[in-house]
Amino acid sequence: MGSLRPFGVGLVCWLAVVSNARPADGPASAGVDYFEKHIRPLLAENCYSCHSRGKKQKGGLLLDSRAGWVAGGDQGLVIVPGNADSSLLIRAIRYKDPDLQMPPDGKPLSKEAVAHLEAWVKMGAPDPREVSGNDTTSAAPPSDPIAGRGHWALRPLGADQPPAVKSSKWPRSPIDSFILAKLQGARLKPADDADRRTLLRRIYFQLIGLPPTPAQVTAFLDGRRPDAYGRVVDQLLGSPQFGERWGRHWLDLARYADSNGLDENFLFREAWRYRNWVIDAVNADMPFDRFLTEQIAGDLLPFDSIPQRDRQRIAAGFLVVGAKVLLSDNEGQKRMDVADELVDTVGRTVLGQTLGCARCHDHKFDPIPTSDYYALAGIFTSTQVVQTRHMLGEQRQMERLAGLGADGDERNAAYEKYWKEQSKNKEREKQVKAALELLMSGDEVKLADLARTNSAGVASLAADPSQPKDQRVRAQKELVAEVQALAATASKIPPRAMIPADAAKPADEAIRLAGQFDRLGKKVPRGFLRVISDGPAAIPENHSGRLELARWLTDTRNGAGQLAARVLANRVWHHLFGRGLVRTVDNFGRTGEAPSHPELLDFLARDLIDSGWSVKHLVRQIVLTRTFTMGSRENKAGTAIDPDDVLLWRAPRRRLEPEAMRDAMLAVAGQLDLKPLDSSVSYLGDQATAVGANKNRRRTDFPNRSVYLPVIRNDLPEVFDVFDFTNPQTSTGMRPETMVVTQGLFMLNDPSVMAASEALARRLLAECPSAGDKEMIDRLFQLSLGAPPTTGERADLVSFVRQSKARRVPVDGKDVNLQAWSLACQALFASSRFQTLD
Amino acid sequence: MNCHHFTKPITRRDMLRASAGGFGGFALAALAGKDALGAISPAAGPIYAPVPPLRARAKRVIFLFMWGGPSHMDMFDPKPRLNTEGGKELLGETVGSKKDKLGTVLGSPFTFRQHGQSGIWMNDLLPHLSRQADRMCVVRSMHTEGNAHGEALLRLHTGQANLVRPSVGSWVSYGLGRENENLPAFITISPPRGHGGVQNYGNAFLPANHQGMAIGSAEIPIAKAVVSNLGNPQISPTSQRDQLGLIQSLNRRHLGSVGHDPRIEGLIANYELAFRMQSTMPAIMDLGGESRQTLDLYGIGSAPTDNFGRQCLLARKFAERGVRYIQVSTDYTWDHHKKVKEGTVEECAKVDKPIAALLDDLKQRGLLEDTLVLWGGEFGRTPMVENGDGRNHHPQAFTMWMAGGGVRGGLTYGSTDDFGYRPVENPVHMHDLHATLLHALGLDHTRLTYRYAGRDFRLTDVYGKVVHDILA
Repeated sequence: MGSLRPFGVGLVCWLAVVSNARPADGPASAGVDYFEKHIRPLLAENCYSCHSRGKKQKGGLLLDSRAGWVAGGDQGLVIVPGNADSSLLIRAIRYKDPDLQMPPDGKPLSKEAVAHLEAWVKMGAPDPREVSGNDTTSAAPPSDPIAGRGHWALRPLGADQPPAVKSSKWPRSPIDSFILAKLQGARLKPADDADRRTLLRRIYFQLIGLPPTPAQVTAFLDGRRPDAYGRVVDQLLGSPQFGERWGRHWLDLARYADSNGLDENFLFREAWRYRNWVIDAVNADMPFDRFLTEQIAGDLLPFDSIPQRDRQRIAAGFLVVGAKVLLSDNEGQKRMDVADELVDTVGRTVLGQTLGCARCHDHKFDPIPTSDYYALAGIFTSTQVVQTRHMLGEQRQMERLAGLGADGDERNAAYEKYWKEQSKNKEREKQVKAALELLMSGDEVKLADLARTNSAGVASLAADPSQPKDQRVRAQKELVAEVQALAATASKIPPRAMIPADAAKPADEAIRLAGQFDRLGKKVPRGFLRVISDGPAAIPENHSGRLELARWLTDTRNGAGQLAARVLANRVWHHLFGRGLVRTVDNFGRTGEAPSHPELLDFLARDLIDSGWSVKHLVRQIVLTRTFTMGSRENKAGTAIDPDDVLLWRAPRRRLEPEAMRDAMLAVAGQLDLKPLDSSVSYLGDQATAVGANKNRRRTDFPNRSVYLPVIRNDLPEVFDVFDFTNPQTSTGMRPETMVVTQGLFMLNDPSVMAASEALARRLLAECPSAGDKEMIDRLFQLSLGAPPTTGERADLVSFVRQSKARRVPVDGKDVNLQAWSLACQALFASSRFQTLD
Repeated sequence: MNCHHFTKPITRRDMLRASAGGFGGFALAALAGKDALGAISPAAGPIYAPVPPLRARAKRVIFLFMWGGPSHMDMFDPKPRLNTEGGKELLGETVGSKKDKLGTVLGSPFTFRQHGQSGIWMNDLLPHLSRQADRMCVVRSMHTEGNAHGEALLRLHTGQANLVRPSVGSWVSYGLGRENENLPAFITISPPRGHGGVQNYGNAFLPANHQGMAIGSAEIPIAKAVVSNLGNPQISPTSQRDQLGLIQSLNRRHLGSVGHDPRIEGLIANYELAFRMQSTMPAIMDLGGESRQTLDLYGIGSAPTDNFGRQCLLARKFAERGVRYIQVSTDYTWDHHKKVKEGTVEECAKVDKPIAALLDDLKQRGLLEDTLVLWGGEFGRTPMVENGDGRNHHPQAFTMWMAGGGVRGGLTYGSTDDFGYRPVENPVHMHDLHATLLHALGLDHTRLTYRYAGRDFRLTDVYGKVVHDILA
């Protein structure tokens, strides 16, 4: 700032200002209203980054409280209430004095903003802000993006070192120290280590979603190497089955499905390519920042080869697989709904924020003003995820598809053109055939008529009566063949995928008043969340802004990367322990829960970033801890002090997810086919669930892993429907876990359970042809639970099998022995030991 | 969105305490006849709504859903001007539409008469229902959104179309709980598979025990319909009983070895319930125990009433056994883009007698007083002609009617303009209908909320007002 002249301000005047500034009843409140409406946002947006407590205090000046500017800066007083011309602050923002210009760097405020500040100073600078750095709790609305920066999830990552723990040999890693310190603080002790069988079963299910085979169990138990567990972990992390399990976790967030759902359940015939891209990317341990960037802007990234281009494009199918009201005739509404679905999905999935709340009004609880919502919405309204295509006899708005391969675009265009013109082609085919018949029968008059009215229907040679008849016939036959070929070649669907594109003319979006699509408020530039970063988003005018958004989401210095890392690390923890350090995994806002171990969460997030965003690294770090390898037994102290096991005094006991349960049944029965699948819906019609009788229903009768089962919205495979699969219409980080009667009915009666039980029985009988019941039972337990039965369990089964055989009521000519063992195998599948992971 | 009400997150422990008297109470509560099944994960909120009920006029609802959209002006809302001006152009300005021309007016082919002491108007295709006129409250001023079936069905059943929301029956189940521990609180008989499909009886984010249990689907005759996995043709009942004994013994041994575990306790209770339901449900679905007189009353055994008659009788049996929300759906047969005359004749013939029988039967059994019967489709039909003799979809105005539990019989409420194009007096939006339905059941639609994804949601979003005038 330039030279400073002291201004004399009388005490009386100050008192007046002070009383004016109180947010009280009466005339004073009009001034405060003016401040709240015009001045606070202005200061927050333009000045706080350099002049607020907790940020910077440039020139010794604070502008985030009344006391701040009353005290003045290094150059003395900056505001003289009632006298704008004498106030340094006003002089600075007028930008006329070359030595005194604020905000700096040639970015003057708008004329309107200057006028507001002048008017505010003239009215005596009413200001209700009591304390610096405390803007959150004072008068700032919860949606204030600057004040909101104090919320725990939005603060920079802490760099806490693992805490000291009382003389303990227990910790195996820094993570353990964080856990143990909290346990000790609550006078709790960690549970004993899990026994090795339990641990092996746990790590197999957690990393690859399958049980270990008896041979794998034996090898592990017999191995003497101290690093045996670590070696199993590495082997599982490297197995292709890892991506099938951990990719599925991401697919829950991506609301992956093979059909649209909602009003018109059209088939997403090509969605599987995105599903398999996710599995492959997880297996390749693609760094998460790259993983995310490809999904948000893969179609905009540079590429070295066509296959690379296609992979990146397929990744961006993430934006296309959402559910949409396809038949709505309200285009304006639909456009905003589609963008909303994307804002909400990205916000929840990556940032753990409930952005959808800010669609109709400033967020009531989190620092997200409506203007930020529409800044993001503009990015997605500038993106095409639907297109008009031929479907079921008409041109309809459908999910956007694009061709794959070097000539993909041409082939796709030709295919669509064919369907668009198909009725015309069919008509033409009729005509050329009719012309041929006329020619053959020698009806020259009618043929000439036809050639006159429809020249495309008759070959020019054929239309010429002066030519030899055989040549005319040949010419017309060629035309028939040509027209028929046109129909035949185009009828096969070319390789294509769900791929978004930037709109022809990207544009900023106007705020919609009360969220109503046709009530326009002011336009806001496309951009990001101001609670995380200042300044304009620098989105080129002709770009949607998706690429910039993807970069911002993973930018750990100037973007949302630190929050994204917290959210992701917490999700990994949630999957491994059944509960996140932040229990509300999809809500890191003020209505979510605070972390149980905030320093640990930051430690994990930092580790994730430092590893180059390697999810496999993070998983490995966690599963190698002592914490992860604890047993799950209860103890009195734990139950009394921490009944929900928030502090992790024992390992959680969990129910298998439907995928793991089905895969385990098939695996144990010896039926599981580990071959990955492409489409599992190709046999379905364009309506995935037809109105009326639907003979072509989605199938589940193939023995491949459950991740490849069709995810038809509103018609999930029974095992998914019954056992709390994710709701594929919305992004979900935490599946519900329910106990409903249909689950019991499923295990007792479903044909798929019956079939797996019988296959297991056949396997047992084949593998141990001369064994007695007891050996058979031991083998059954080894296969299905990786452990021998207890004496009691063995006795239960022995008596059941004997009794069943004694009944001798063969059904369908089935062997009595096989029947008895099938029932026993099914009982084991239905048992809590099989369905629970200790 | 209803974003204003936030409750403290509920832990699994809170939930168990609230629902089943604490740890270990899980199985006991279920066996004692209270419903302890439902959500057991920390993700979940309470199993049942923690709202104190208002005065309940009705204890349950039977919704008779006419899939496709019946033509209101051909059934309950006579419009003489359609006939005097048939064949003429309907101008937008006549009915307050922004469009210049709306199409050609199609007169109604039917004769209308007033019925009962109350003089409710009906067409001449409803000889049985017309005798119930004084029990009926006909709302002529319904309106909704969604020009296509899918959107309109979702709005009718869940209040919204662009987001997945719990269905009305699920909210009722959540709000009132079960009366019968062997049956779900929400059963849907022959639901449509398309136009939203399971979403129309889905629980969305409510605990899964509030999902409607489906019996068959619309295109399958109810006599052939089954509930999935409700029995096992491969195993004799004795064998299955033995097998259940083995499963439960294994489960109890597991439980014994780990101490307390609500999941295992819940699982044990769940198998018992599943096994019991295998015998209770088929017993209800078997109409063999009904008298010949009752079967005749519903028109069972004779065309064209057999199917809908069976559905209605089944609905009565479920109502009798304490199911809270029962929906009966027709097949997709009310969508008369062509031949609205023939179509309406045919459909009325299927449902007229069974509906009247249902009302009489409920009355006779003392159930009509606390059973609210609701009739209607997803929208109405246009006053303008389509395809020469049909009518198109019309969400702007249509008729639904109610009878029984808590509604004023013999009342015609609301009205439409001279063409049945839009409501002019006392319009009732779909959200208002939902609010009123809940109110009749003693549930305040503004307080029946569920916290999900950081917000409290309700059936009526931020809308809906109770139509007190139609409640007794």
